[in-house]
Formats: sequence, structure tokens, C-alpha cells
Amino acid sequence: MAREGIVAVQQETQATAGDRAFTTPVSEPIQSRRRGVPWRDLAISALTVLYFVFALFPVVWMIILSLKPQDKLFTTYFQFEPTLAAYREIFSGAGGQGGATFLRFFVNSLVVSLGAVLVSLVVGVPAAYAFARWNFRGGESLLFTLLSFRFAPELMVIIPLLVIYRRLGLFDTHLGLIWVYQLITLPLIVWILRSYFQDLTPELEQSALLDGYNRPQAFLKIAVPLILPGLAASGLLAFIFAWNSFIFPFALTGSNAQTVTVGSLSFLGGATPRYNLTAAAALIALIPPLLLALSIQRFLVRGLTFGAVKG
Amino acid sequence: MATLTLRAIRKEYGKLVALDGLDLDVGDGEFFVLLGPSGAGKTTTLKCVAGLETPTAGRVEIGGRDVTDAEPNTRHVAMAFENYALYPQYSVYDNIAFPLRSKRYYRPPVEARSVIERVTTTLGIAHLLERMPRELSGGQRQRVALARVLVRPADVLLLDEPLSHLDAKLRATMRAELKSLGDVQRTTSVYVTHDYLEALALGDRIAVLREGSLVQVGTREDLWHRPVDLFVARAFGQPQINVIPGEIVSATGSSTFHSRDGTVTLPLQAPLLAAGTPVDLGLRPRDLILGEMPGMLPIRGQVYVVEPLGRQREVTVEIGENRVAVVTPQEDIASGDQVTISVAPERVLMFDGATGRNIMSDGLPESRMERAVHPEAVGYA
Repeated sequence: MAREGIVAVQQETQATAGDRAFTTPVSEPIQSRRRGVPWRDLAISALTVLYFVFALFPVVWMIILSLKPQDKLFTTYFQFEPTLAAYREIFSGAGGQGGATFLRFFVNSLVVSLGAVLVSLVVGVPAAYAFARWNFRGGESLLFTLLSFRFAPELMVIIPLLVIYRRLGLFDTHLGLIWVYQLITLPLIVWILRSYFQDLTPELEQSALLDGYNRPQAFLKIAVPLILPGLAASGLLAFIFAWNSFIFPFALTGSNAQTVTVGSLSFLGGATPRYNLTAAAALIALIPPLLLALSIQRFLVRGLTFGAVKG
Repeated sequence: MATLTLRAIRKEYGKLVALDGLDLDVGDGEFFVLLGPSGAGKTTTLKCVAGLETPTAGRVEIGGRDVTDAEPNTRHVAMAFENYALYPQYSVYDNIAFPLRSKRYYRPPVEARSVIERVTTTLGIAHLLERMPRELSGGQRQRVALARVLVRPADVLLLDEPLSHLDAKLRATMRAELKSLGDVQRTTSVYVTHDYLEALALGDRIAVLREGSLVQVGTREDLWHRPVDLFVARAFGQPQINVIPGEIVSATGSSTFHSRDGTVTLPLQAPLLAAGTPVDLGLRPRDLILGEMPGMLPIRGQVYVVEPLGRQREVTVEIGENRVAVVTPQEDIASGDQVTISVAPERVLMFDGATGRNIMSDGLPESRMERAVHPEAVGYA
């Protein structure tokens, strides 16, 4: 009986398959489209290459510039003997301002940028969580104040800041820069992470509360691991902004805590502008953000929270 | 194990009043069902018990202890969320083991494993322990959420529509099994659902909620046979209770019901009512019998449509401007037939036409309760 049933079903499926083959014509249009020259794809590729060259040309120009000897700096033809003299010079401190070597600027930049991001994360992650989960008095204005730091021009506050920093003894210190960099990094981290926390259903932490954990544990064990992609993205972005900052270190540091952005420029200050040294310095300064971006790339994926709640 | 008491719970979200003076008493070990349409405040009630929402006013007591302002993690309450709330970064096993790894409900790993294996076997998810939540179907996720609640001790178990996303067959099985789970049996449980069948099958007592207020609390017999108003009467039963609007005439000694279109006239054993009182007559489709029966009240009409429901069929009969559904095993019925519907006088429900309150709910003969047929017994084929 059962076998007969199966045979019958098979026959039926064969019949319907046959019907379908009979009624539906072979997909002619798709095949003919495949046969032709893919003009569209070619055009897109060509445009992409064109844009690629356009976008990377300044970098290429800088690389060439950094490899040129001093006397060929202003020639526009590419006939010269490449030399690493510029790189040697910036690290020896011979071309630098006040004998400070480029390595010092580099380390300064690393210290203050990483420090600023770390402080912002320690303060900003709980802050973002609070902004996302609770409506408290003044919460909205506090958020807006944070955002306003990003669109108020830095030049507006730099003179009073300089005065205050001199009074407090923060002028030309790493701590001072890390502090002032919070204007750059903190709003970014708070605003980005707040939206990540908002995407997370509060019932996950509520469930953890009922499972016997207290609020800090629910926050650290459940909520924070789920916003790691956001943490990586906002941390990276904040680092890049801090690393690129010019006005603050320019005004608030001397020889001690000066960063690469300001330091690279010091090569242009002498009797003859040393463009090759600046180019070499800028290229090296490109490396840390690049490495950081590559190393946290795997965290920059969405979809970690998939499966938490019903779709 | 504990009793649960809610006193005058009020919860406002801005201008919206989610709960309006809710009073509930749930006995120790009782399986209590909250039934109501969406937006009635069922989930809000659970969250107030769990401490995830703070009531605007009122008091929550668990085991006689006032916990209104207590932190959720100190209340000894377990809750299965309607949207599961599984931790996506943990495997199914780690999800279920999560409460057993907390300080409060700690069990040594070996012991935890045996508990988890027992519970997951009962729920039929023992083979999924190494999976991640995202790899599970809706029904499987729901059972994982249920398992996470059942592996740990709790004074009160809160279940928010824990069966809503299972397919029909599994739901029926789980419904039967849920209450037989030892932990559920012994623990004071509040179960939220919008499915009246679940409520009737599971609830020791059932509370019907509407717009943040309690409409009626009682046993399944209370709610089925003595609904306080039309809302409750409509909440139970498929097809829905038939309602025929009309009024009382000739209040001399006994009242008689006259439908508005004049096609139905029934003598009633009701408390004496003033003539002209607007009244809605309530007739449950499964209390109606096709054909004339001695000792029963007859209503005449014409068959409008017949729908087969497996063993039985739902017959819609047109009576004047009203349509009345009847569920019957009879097969020789076709649309257009002239039929007589019979109803036992004590099965007729009467509601105040203006307020919808049940007029007959007071002074019912006690025998009625004993004769009460379990609604499951008259369910679908």
C-alpha cells in the first residue's frame, strides 16, 4: 500500500515536471544576454580604475617625493635616483625642530591618541548605555552638548584653552592632550554606541537580571559583548580623528608632547622647505591607523545579535 | 514557592495607562493564567511582578514580602519572554546554564549538566545543545527560553506566551506536557496568553484582562458558564458566542425576551426585569441543538451556510436580521433549509444591552456548576 502510494507520488511529480518543461520555454533571453560583450561591467571597471588612480595619486606623489634627493624636489619629471635619505634624516633628528626626532612625535601621537580613545571608551560605553536605556532629566541636552563639541570650531576655544592649560600646568603634557582630545573622541563614541545599544532589545539584560545577575554583570556579560562591532568601529574612527588632530597639539604643545601632525610640518619651517622630509613623515604617520583598521577588521561585522529575539 | 499578591497596581507610560488598579491574588503553587487581547496589559503585569517595570502606584508582594521596590535579581522570579531573549553570543547549552552560573542560583557544573539534560530531554531540545540560537527555528528558540526558566529554582514562574510560536501540533503536545513538568506543577506560575484554549486547558484559575483592568477572575467553569459580561463571553469559544439584541417585554410574573427584529421570542427564567429593558441574548454555538427538543426553547430560522469542521460542522442559521452559528454533528443539512434551533433554558445567557454585564450571573442554581461540561470535551473533532 505504502509503496504504491510512493510510486503514485513519483509519477505525479514526473508528470508535473514534464508539464512544466512543456509549458515553460527554455530561458532564451538570459542565455542571449550572457553571450554578448559585457559592456556594462567593462565600463564600471574602467571607471573604478580611473577613480582609483585619481584617489591614490596624492599618495603616489608623496611616495615619490619622499624618495627624492633634496636638489630634485621641485622637478616634475620622474628621473632621479631614489634615496632613503629623507627617512634617515627624520629619525636622526637632524632636520627636526629643536633636535626632537620624528620618533618622539610618533610615540607622542600613539600615546595621546590611544590614551584618548581608551579614556573615551571607559567613560563613553557606560554613558552610551545609559543614554540608550533610560530617559533621565537633562539626558537629551547632555547628548546634544556632547554633539555640539563636534560641530563647534576648535579655533573658537583654543585661546582660552591655552590660557587655562598654562595655568593648570597641562601645557605640553600628554595628559593635557588626552583630556582635550575627549572633545573629539567622546561624542563620536557615545553617539555611535548609543545607537548600537538601542538596537539591542532590553529584554536580554532583563533576562540576565532575572537569571540572578546584578545590573553591572548584565551590562558586562550580555550587553557589551553584543556591541563589540560598534566598539571596534567607533574606537577606530575615534583613533583616526585623534591621530589627525592638528589644532589642539599645534596650540597646546611645545617640544615635549608634540604629535606627528605638527611635527611633520616643522620640516617646512627652515630656510629651505624640506618637502621630502614632510612627505616621509606623513607616510610613516599613515601606518598606525592603517594597521589598526586591518587588525580590527574582523570585528567590523554586523549580525552578531542575530537570533536573540524572534525575527 | 510563594503566594503572589498585586494590590491596586497602576502603570502609566506617559499619558498611556497600561494598568489601571489591578488586584490579583495567586495562591501558592497555583497555575494562574492571564488572558486578554494584545495591549490589555498582560506583559506589563508580568514585568511589574518581575521588577522590570516599576508600577506607578500599588504594591507587589511575593510570599508576603513587599517587593515593590526590590531589584529584579533579588525577587527569586523566573520569566520566559515572549521574544525569547536568548543570549546570541552563547550556545544553547550556555544559554540554559546561564542562571546556574550566577552567584544566586549557582550549581556545580556536573549537577548543572544533569539538570539541563533532564529538562531539555523533556522539552525535546536535547540534541540542540551545541547549536547557537541563530541556528534554531522559532519553536526551538521558544523551548530553549522555556528550558532556561525551568532549570533554576524560583518562587514565581512568569511565562509570557511561551507556546505562541510553536506549530499547532507541537503546541498541543507542549500544552499537555507543560503542566506535568514537576517544577511547573509545584511552582506558583503566572501564564500569559491570548489563546482561550490554552487558558482553559492550563489555568487553575484564569483572569481576563481588558485595557489594563481586570474583567473577571475565576475557574474555567466560572468563566465559561458565568461570564460577567459580553467581553468575557466573547473571549471564550470558537465559533464565538451568538449575540441577539432585543428587549424584555410583558414583565408579569415572568419575563419574555423579544429580539429587536421581532423574530425571536423566548420565555426566560430570569430575575424579574422591567419591561423595555434592552438585553443581549447570548447563545453558545455548542449549546445549540438542531431540531425540536422537549423541554427546550425553540428558535426558527433558515440555514445560511454550512461549513464542515472535520467530524462536526458549523451551521450558520439566519434568523431575521441575526445570524446564529450552531455546531452540530448532523450531516443532512443544506443551505436554504428551514430549521428549528433548540436551547436548554439554563444555557441561555443574558447581558444588559447597555453595559454588557451578565444579568443572570447572580443566583444561579448550584447544580449547574456540577453539570458543567469541560469545554475541552466539546472541542473540535
